[in-house]
Amino acid sequence: MKKTGRNEEFVSQARKQFDDSVERLDAATLSRLNQGRHRALAELQTAKPLGQWLRWAPAAGIAVAAVVTVMVMNAPAPTVTDKSITATDFEMLLEDDSLELFEDLDFYTWLQSADLEANSNVS
Amino acid sequence: MSAANGVFAVSWPRVQSTGARTLQRERQLNQFLAEVERRALRVAEIAVRDRDEALDLVQDAMIKLARNYATRPETEWTPLFYRILQNGIRDWHRRQKVRNRVMVWFGRGKAGEDEYDVIASAPDPAGRAPDDELQTHEAMQQLERAIRELPDRQREAFMLRTFEGVDVAGTATAMGCSEGSVKTHYSRAVHALREQLGEHWS
Repeated sequence: MKKTGRNEEFVSQARKQFDDSVERLDAATLSRLNQGRHRALAELQTAKPLGQWLRWAPAAGIAVAAVVTVMVMNAPAPTVTDKSITATDFEMLLEDDSLELFEDLDFYTWLQSADLEANSNVS
Repeated sequence: MSAANGVFAVSWPRVQSTGARTLQRERQLNQFLAEVERRALRVAEIAVRDRDEALDLVQDAMIKLARNYATRPETEWTPLFYRILQNGIRDWHRRQKVRNRVMVWFGRGKAGEDEYDVIASAPDPAGRAPDDELQTHEAMQQLERAIRELPDRQREAFMLRTFEGVDVAGTATAMGCSEGSVKTHYSRAVHALREQLGEHWS
């Protein structure tokens, strides 16, 4: 309780010192503050407050949703392109299974050469 | 013709009321800024130790408030204004740190620290005696030095609560933290200041 009282006394004294220093501000400083305030008030004539823009947010959201819906509905069916094939190939290579493929590569090479040999014998 | 008159009759009062509202808002904002500007300047000056810089910071805060938040309820202006100001002060400190690092890199210290300040040395226009001035200033200068020694958050909490008279909720909004944090920072600040300044301060 005593400590709280001393704290309050200290804070009150600090506030008084601060108020005195505010009162001692010179005329030149006060003039510059005044100018700054009027510059700020001039902003009111030109400013577009955030609220004005936010007012249109729901309408803008609906418009964007409508455009996206139309685009999705009119979009052509997906086609297989060289790029998509390349992407698919990469995906397959990056899968864990592909490591096994590399490990058995010798076997597949042998299999292919054996097939070629058999075909040449038949013909 | 009658349709045109109808449009005129409907739109004219609306334009008039919008203009009146803007004028009223301008008057309210002017009054608010006039009430807080001096104290805000001193708070900024204590934080950055430079009156010109403090004036720029206060002006920026006033412009940002007017530009972005003038339409908000008047009760919100105080915490919003001090939040903008405190952000400006924090940015200023960050820029100073970068600037000082660059100056050290180029081998130059802070310029002008030891230069003779003509304005500061000029006689007081209010005609107060140097002895009186010295006595009045000394306590405040001690307090300012002690406040600058505080960690940033404690300094902000102390100045907003004590000097600006902002309540706990407003200070929390201005500092961007919880009310509990404000109370903790403020309490630690008071304790640290009392410890540093001693029992016989002021």
